[in-house]
Amino acid sequence: MTSAVLTGESLSAPHNAPLGRLLAAELRWVLRRPRTLVMLGLFALVPVLISIGVAVANRTPGPGAGLIGAVAGNGLVLPVAAMTLALALLLPLAVSMAAADAIAGEAAHGTLRGLLIAPVGRLRLVAMKAFGVLVVATLATLALAVMGVLAGLVVVGGADGQLVTLSGTAVSLGDALARVALVVIWTVWQLAAVGAIALAISSFTEHPLVVLASVLGGLIVFGVLSAIPALEWLQPYLLTSGWTAGADALRDPLPLDNMAASSLRALCYVAIGAGLTIHRMLRRDA
Amino acid sequence: MTSSPRVDAAPAPAGAASVRPMAARAVGLRKTFGRTVAVDGIDLDVPAGSVLGMLGPNGSGKTTLIRMLLGLTRPTAGAAELLGHPIPEESARALPQVGALVEGPGFHPFLSGRENLRRAAATEPLLGTGEIREAVDAALHRVGLGDAADRRFRGYSLGMKQRLGLAAALLLPRSLVVLDEPTNGLDPAGTRDVRQIIAELHAGGATVIVSSHLLAEVEATCTHVAVLQAGSLVAAGELNALLATGTGGLEITTPDVELALRTLRGAGATAYRAERSPAEEQAVVVGDDGPAAPEVIALLVRAGVAVHEARRSRTNLDDLFARLTEEPS
Repeated sequence: MTSAVLTGESLSAPHNAPLGRLLAAELRWVLRRPRTLVMLGLFALVPVLISIGVAVANRTPGPGAGLIGAVAGNGLVLPVAAMTLALALLLPLAVSMAAADAIAGEAAHGTLRGLLIAPVGRLRLVAMKAFGVLVVATLATLALAVMGVLAGLVVVGGADGQLVTLSGTAVSLGDALARVALVVIWTVWQLAAVGAIALAISSFTEHPLVVLASVLGGLIVFGVLSAIPALEWLQPYLLTSGWTAGADALRDPLPLDNMAASSLRALCYVAIGAGLTIHRMLRRDA
Repeated sequence: MTSSPRVDAAPAPAGAASVRPMAARAVGLRKTFGRTVAVDGIDLDVPAGSVLGMLGPNGSGKTTLIRMLLGLTRPTAGAAELLGHPIPEESARALPQVGALVEGPGFHPFLSGRENLRRAAATEPLLGTGEIREAVDAALHRVGLGDAADRRFRGYSLGMKQRLGLAAALLLPRSLVVLDEPTNGLDPAGTRDVRQIIAELHAGGATVIVSSHLLAEVEATCTHVAVLQAGSLVAAGELNALLATGTGGLEITTPDVELALRTLRGAGATAYRAERSPAEEQAVVVGDDGPAAPEVIALLVRAGVAVHEARRSRTNLDDLFARLTEEPS
């Protein structure tokens, strides 16, 4: 009887759980984690707070400065402004938190062992984890964009439902929403780059904090490096140096070259991060 | 319980065993962490359908050996095999039929026991998507967690966590179940439950590898034993055979201890007073190296020693374990 179990079943049996089921399980796990939900709630609050701030400041005389200043009386700028602001630190923080939990956190809880024994193939495990991180990045960005549009139209209002671009022209609501969508996609892709690097770090440690510290530390170092004039040659290699390109969506006609360049740069980071993660996870002890 | 004493405490040769299919096999398995040798060239065969008790003091390499067998850690040297598949190369073929509880139960504190098990079940290749709910319920009931299933894992007691770990290993019928210290943190009832589960698995034809430092557990549930010490296998084989090698000779219960010792030593036998509490009857132990048993008894009777009882002394696994893992001084 045992020999039948040994030979007969193992040859015909499927060797992997269906990928869809794995992804669904990962999604469920990500969305059931209280900190994910709290974080998404906070991201939804960011545009609301900006809109209130702008609305209050608007009553006092004096021009606002920069992107936030441009929000005044021009609500459809808000989602783009919120995403651009959050991309500097908040969004990378959310993504690295998700990536930290994805591998280092699982290792710390002893659940990585369970996944590998099940077995979830090591490549599938990386795919599953990358999917989870991407979901968090997308949801966080969408929270900013959707609440940004709503708060922009309701609290800030202005321009007859049109968007006045930084170039001074007005575009229709539909056109404006398309531009917001473009910024969402571009932002998620930049976050994918952060997530890939964070996952790579996550695959090397079982301390989630190491991932957070490394990614945020790295972003700060990038910021410092880009501020040193003598190191200007370094600019094309720094992920963060293209992160102001999102505001290009507010110009007319829409200049795409900065977004394209930063997306290409993000692709390089994604490739490096994915490569390192896969390399490490194929060998990692659990 | 045939007691043909075989006096070799060396690892049992794989001779007879190699005819039967092996559920797990280690060949020269070795693992070093830096300069520390965790597992030092272990050869071990686990016949299909057996219940192998893996014994050893803390840090003897039990868990590392299990981790290598499951493909969680790459061996420094040697090869591992699970259900006929080389590990880790063909893990994907062997592991679906393997349930394991290694290094304590690993679950997420913010999910309920049921949610944790559902997540584990979703990753099981041999479990159909439609069967998950039922399998989770059945596993929860089997380990006695039916009532606590919807409480968060965070609030579980140590014993409940251990039970949930066991449930994950038993989500579906397995060919091989590996339990690393399954009775950790369990109350006596839980320990009894684990023994019961192992017996059920054994009766169902599954192979079980259970590591423990609770020797009584191993003695009660196992058919085979492997004893590790400092990363080496110091004894392996069938439980009965190993117990038989533990004979300390002949144990003779008598009130005339002094006379008996004088007589036996005069006849060239090794004899010493058995350790007894004052309440018990006194006894002497005669070594195997001297005259044979009938001769010993004849000697004693002729010398006028009152022999109340004579029997082969069988050491239990506790003594064997203690003897095998003792540092030679």
